[in-house]
Amino acid sequence: MSTLSEARSEFWRSYTSKVGTFFIILLTIISIVVVLTMPLDFGTKYWSNPIYWVDNPKASPPAWINTLMQDKLIEHQIISSNAPAQVEDLGGSYMKQYILTYDFKYSQFPSFLTFRLTNLVFYDKPPIIRVYIVRPDNKLVSILTYPVTVEGLNQTSPNVLFKSEPKRFLLSGDPSLFRALSDFLYKEFNIAYSPEKVSNIGVEKIIFGIPQQDGSFKPLNGKYQVYVLMYCDNRDDSIGDVAMVFGGKVYGLMGTDTLGRDLFQGLLFGFPVALLIGLATSILSTIIGAALGIVSGYVGGKTDLIIQRAADIVNNIPLLPLLIFFTFIFGGHLWVIVFILVVFGWPGLTIIVRSMVLSLKSSNFVEAAVAVGASSGRIMLRHIFPQVAPFILAQLIFYTPQAILSESALSFLGLGDPSIPTWGQILDYAFRNGAVYLGYWWWILPPGLLIIFSAITFVLLALGLEPVVNPRLRRRR
Amino acid sequence: MAYSKLGLTKTLAYRGISLVIVLLGVLFLTVIVLGATGVSDRILNSMLTEELRGIRQQLVTQIKDVEQLNKALESIKQQLIIAYGLDRPWYERLPNMMLKIITLDLGSAKNIQSFSGSKQISAIILERLPNTILLVTTAIIINFLIGLFAGTWVATKPGSIVDRFVSLYAAISYAIPTWWLGLINILVFAFYFRLFPYTGMFSAPPPTDPLLRFLDLLWHVSLPLLTLIIALSGSWIYITRSLTVTTAQEDFVNVARAKGLPENLVQRRYIVRVVAPSILTNVILGLAGSIGGAILTETVFGWPGMGQLYYEAIVSLDEGLILALTYVFTLVYVIARFILEVLYVIVDPRVRY
Repeated sequence: MSTLSEARSEFWRSYTSKVGTFFIILLTIISIVVVLTMPLDFGTKYWSNPIYWVDNPKASPPAWINTLMQDKLIEHQIISSNAPAQVEDLGGSYMKQYILTYDFKYSQFPSFLTFRLTNLVFYDKPPIIRVYIVRPDNKLVSILTYPVTVEGLNQTSPNVLFKSEPKRFLLSGDPSLFRALSDFLYKEFNIAYSPEKVSNIGVEKIIFGIPQQDGSFKPLNGKYQVYVLMYCDNRDDSIGDVAMVFGGKVYGLMGTDTLGRDLFQGLLFGFPVALLIGLATSILSTIIGAALGIVSGYVGGKTDLIIQRAADIVNNIPLLPLLIFFTFIFGGHLWVIVFILVVFGWPGLTIIVRSMVLSLKSSNFVEAAVAVGASSGRIMLRHIFPQVAPFILAQLIFYTPQAILSESALSFLGLGDPSIPTWGQILDYAFRNGAVYLGYWWWILPPGLLIIFSAITFVLLALGLEPVVNPRLRRRR
Repeated sequence: MAYSKLGLTKTLAYRGISLVIVLLGVLFLTVIVLGATGVSDRILNSMLTEELRGIRQQLVTQIKDVEQLNKALESIKQQLIIAYGLDRPWYERLPNMMLKIITLDLGSAKNIQSFSGSKQISAIILERLPNTILLVTTAIIINFLIGLFAGTWVATKPGSIVDRFVSLYAAISYAIPTWWLGLINILVFAFYFRLFPYTGMFSAPPPTDPLLRFLDLLWHVSLPLLTLIIALSGSWIYITRSLTVTTAQEDFVNVARAKGLPENLVQRRYIVRVVAPSILTNVILGLAGSIGGAILTETVFGWPGMGQLYYEAIVSLDEGLILALTYVFTLVYVIARFILEVLYVIVDPRVRY
């Protein structure tokens, strides 16, 4: 390799380098965007907090599968509003009206219905909240009446409720809604069903359907207006967010797991983690491996013997059992995993670099440097290191996928860092919950493909670098 | 490798000794870690409590007086504490502990039992070891053969589409986690096509007829084997190909061709014969990975071997079992490695000078 530009053109010559470069840019951009946009405590605060995902459908495939299917599965929708559409003065008291519009265009009924209130603030007296739905056929269904109750009313300063944890009304199992719907059916369709019968049929069918002759319900498509009314005494009383959850059978871009967690978010967070583990491990073990290799080859004698024996022994240890052992004992903290991978990752490079240094040692430029009186340290750093540097770089890149794969294997065995979601951990959870036996492909396929994607990025780069580092492999021009 | 300078026995003795050092090194390291982190105290204490409970059940039938019983138990407990060495710091127990493990006195598992109901770790491991060896060895042999034949064949057409495909396949197989491929294979072949069973080694109940039993085993082993072959054969073929291409350009091969020897003879005697030892070296280097990889593959396929046992030990937080398994895994590796070294000597005449 004579000049840098020649090396660059040699690298750029191959197809693999181009694809590899494109992939690494993609990987880096996604990782940066994730780090900038997602909270760094995403793992502890959201991912491993089941309550945060409670509104989501469980184990649902991604929404885009509908484009491939004849019978469209109902999409999961959460419709919310944070400002009243209208405020009415009732003389002394007020009515604030929030409107949520739901476009129901499916041949299936929503799988569940949840109403959610977040951050309710009031001053003098607790407000009363009423919810009703106006259907496309202009029939009105009364859903909920909720007189806000509070222990220890605060008279001077604002009372704040449901701030950190929203109030949820699981309408699908609400007995007072069964009674209301029983009345609704009698009044609008002249059908007498007991509340128990309503409960058996399911509230979604009655709210979003028209009863048929045979006792079944046919979906009534169109726009549904959900009215949320707050009757309050103080004009400043407010609700931070009102929302209706229309349970679906498909969710988002990547679907959900059995806890209802949005897999898209978990998978996204895995990008910087994989990149960090891969690069940190390979950079550290390459530095140690190369330094020991250069010293071993150049200094020789007893130092050489000790380093080579140590490398030989560590190189011969079956890695995974020991990795499991140590992560089990020291806990699966991210840096513990990186540290252990580094401790066992250096010998291969040491052995190869040493043999390269041995042949460099007897070359003219090293002898010249010795003759001039350069110190050993200077010779190793200034004369020998630059000669082996390209090879070391290639090894660094080649070792990265191994680190990524090792971490995902550990995570899959349940030994990953519990505070940070990784692709391996998602697969671990999927496997433990029987995803392969239940056919939850969206839970197994993407994490694995992403592991392969990040690993193959570095494999391609290493393959592209090979002819640069090893000129014998260059194609004849 | 500077084998030729040393005698044959010396070579093997040298390899043997360094492998024993590996084994002892791993053992030493794990025992020190266990001692220094206080985990070994925990293991011993739980063993002690377990033993005490057994003794108590025996004594209850003999001694009726509660006070007397407690007194007797207390004195037995003190004896046990001394016997286990819990009255001394961990580093004083270390040699004894290492000796125990070396002699395969591995203690008993917390709540995992052998198929015959024993809690002795050595009994559990002995039952499972053959299953692991069966799976791993079969996979290595098949991959070795595929690598040897496909690799030398591809090497005869360098630069062709097949050759490029093999390079790509090798790159991908380097990046695919074998265990994930296993999950996908279960999803495709067991869940969607219903061709193979999900887990296990035999149907429940296993067939009694030997032939049917063998066929049942074959049916169960297909999917794990298929996974190991798809995931690993790529790199085998690629490495054999690279070695063969280099050898095929050597002068002695050209001489053989120039002499007019038939091509398949040149292939067999002049190329494969020379390449085989290098491929065996590759088997040796890949052995550690294959044995470790069994932990994941067996877990995915519910294969009742050492790997799955390891996973169960992790899930049930059984420190004693994990220590024992780490040692036995290294032991198995060291033994297998030594067998391969001997095999290497047989295959490569240069070592025998």
